[in-house]
Amino acid sequence: MISKLQLSLAIIKPHTVKNPVALTYIRNVLKNKFVVIKTKRLFLDKSTAANFYIEHKDKFFFNRLVTFMSSGYIDLHVLGHKNAIHLWRKMLGPTKVYKAQFEDPYSLRGMFGLSDTRNVAHGSDSLTSAEREIKFFFPEFSFYEWHSSNEELYRKGPIIFNKHLFQHVRKL
Amino acid sequence: MNTLKVLLRSRSNNNLIFRTATTKKKIHDPKEEELLPIFQYPVSKSSDRRVYVWGLAETGLELLLKGLHTHKKKSFFFQVTQIACGYGFTVAAIKTNEQHKVFGTGINTDSQIGYHAPRIGHPLEMLLSPAPIYVPYKSLENKVIGVAAGRAHTLILTDNEGVYSLGNNAYGQCGRKINNAEEYRGSMHSHHISKLGKEQVIDICAGQDHSLFVTESGKVYSCGWGADGQTGLGNFDNQGPPAAVKGDITSEKIIKVASTVDCVLALNDKGEIFGWGNSEYGQIPMSSKQQQVNMSYALVNFTKGLGKIVDIAAGGSFCLICNDQGDVFVWGFGLLGLGPNVHHTANPKQIPPTLFGRNEFNSECMVQKVSCGIGHLAAITNNGDLYTWGRNRHGCLGLGHDKDQHFPLKVSIGAHVLNVSCSVDHTVAICKPFM
Repeated sequence: MISKLQLSLAIIKPHTVKNPVALTYIRNVLKNKFVVIKTKRLFLDKSTAANFYIEHKDKFFFNRLVTFMSSGYIDLHVLGHKNAIHLWRKMLGPTKVYKAQFEDPYSLRGMFGLSDTRNVAHGSDSLTSAEREIKFFFPEFSFYEWHSSNEELYRKGPIIFNKHLFQHVRKL
Repeated sequence: MNTLKVLLRSRSNNNLIFRTATTKKKIHDPKEEELLPIFQYPVSKSSDRRVYVWGLAETGLELLLKGLHTHKKKSFFFQVTQIACGYGFTVAAIKTNEQHKVFGTGINTDSQIGYHAPRIGHPLEMLLSPAPIYVPYKSLENKVIGVAAGRAHTLILTDNEGVYSLGNNAYGQCGRKINNAEEYRGSMHSHHISKLGKEQVIDICAGQDHSLFVTESGKVYSCGWGADGQTGLGNFDNQGPPAAVKGDITSEKIIKVASTVDCVLALNDKGEIFGWGNSEYGQIPMSSKQQQVNMSYALVNFTKGLGKIVDIAAGGSFCLICNDQGDVFVWGFGLLGLGPNVHHTANPKQIPPTLFGRNEFNSECMVQKVSCGIGHLAAITNNGDLYTWGRNRHGCLGLGHDKDQHFPLKVSIGAHVLNVSCSVDHTVAICKPFM
């Protein structure tokens, strides 16, 4: 049985978007390891960021996370891979940067993370949260339509990478 | 056989003549000796300075790309007086009466090292070699007495005109009102803070996204990101214009503040320390086990018995201090310099002084200055030796390899180290050369 493509959402956080060296490294990883289906650059306001992280509402770091995410541009990427959710989180490494340096020093967070909040990027942690997060930022994106008509194209090709859109597109 | 004898005799005679001649000359004519040419090695003047940098070279430490973990001499033809490392950029101040007193190199996506555009409308996001930063000084006579660099902002302290700030102000770290729609790329804006509470600023410090100012009478002012309480204003909000830090330090005369990420330490004139900000790893141990301390808190009881503290440094998840005996203490989480098995210590632990070169033959050796990056630590002794240890991200320890270092090790610099500045992934040292 052929396994189908799984979708995940990657959010590149403000401090990484501002570092050309880290951003180039991460973008190379994304375009070579995943199929990039959608890309968008966005400036979040505080209320949208608070809505997005509503599950952490009662944690002590909620205010910190929200003010950080609304401090600059963030990059959103919808990633496709047979094992997208797990693979992207594995590449990112442990959530806490100060612990990542011992557990997985050559993960993206181990290499480019600054602190436990400034931890390079976000990755969806399950199928349901990936669906919720992609819907949150790409309301026009239809999962049903994608799985029924586009999934096969992105899995089998022919596709080509468009560096201006930073997306994989159908090769004409 | 005869000829051989003659030869020997003549040789010994020669020797005899030669010897008498030399001794005679020494005693006889001292004036002639003075006239002889003397070869003198060039000795450096006491005012000579040399700057060494090492670490991740891609973010514009040097013209060379990927020149990791090697010492590179920065070719300033000026007298460098102050240095500071930010997140992927470096600033240095020089002694001059001209307009360009501060130079910067590295990442410039938030205009933290000024506006540089070879073509109009196309500002550079990365500078590969030092370029002068334009700051609108009122008088060219004033001197730059301090520079500080954060994640994306720079502070410049002058002796007569107060503080100038450049770069990102998304949290208010430049000390002005926050404007959410502001575009920082290609910005020519610099902000001027002349006085705080009618007093001159004598010291500055930049965390990743906040700024701290010390005034003449020992008051501390802060601005920027306060989500961890690092502004010490009793709240967790962003602060635009600088405001006085609340809590235990209000009645103290503070002489130095230190912060690299979100944890802040302050030192008063009696050698006692205070702290606020992030405490997730026990950097500011309060009895209530708070993880975010939003007002200054006295650490006098915590550091009891450590003597008079003379220098402080706060890293990402640990703190480092040294006392007037030259002993070094560390607490928190991370590679602390206490060997490969110690990752966490709740109370200050001394790093053995022998590791900093103190032994029976060299009992006067003392650590005088300490400094912290996010994951690496540095100490300077009174002999001008630099010791580094900790996380060796991109070779920022300067030890010739990129493995993590579990105990202090001397960096081989052929000069007397005066000051060191550590950042995320690179280190800069200002030294007095021997020759």
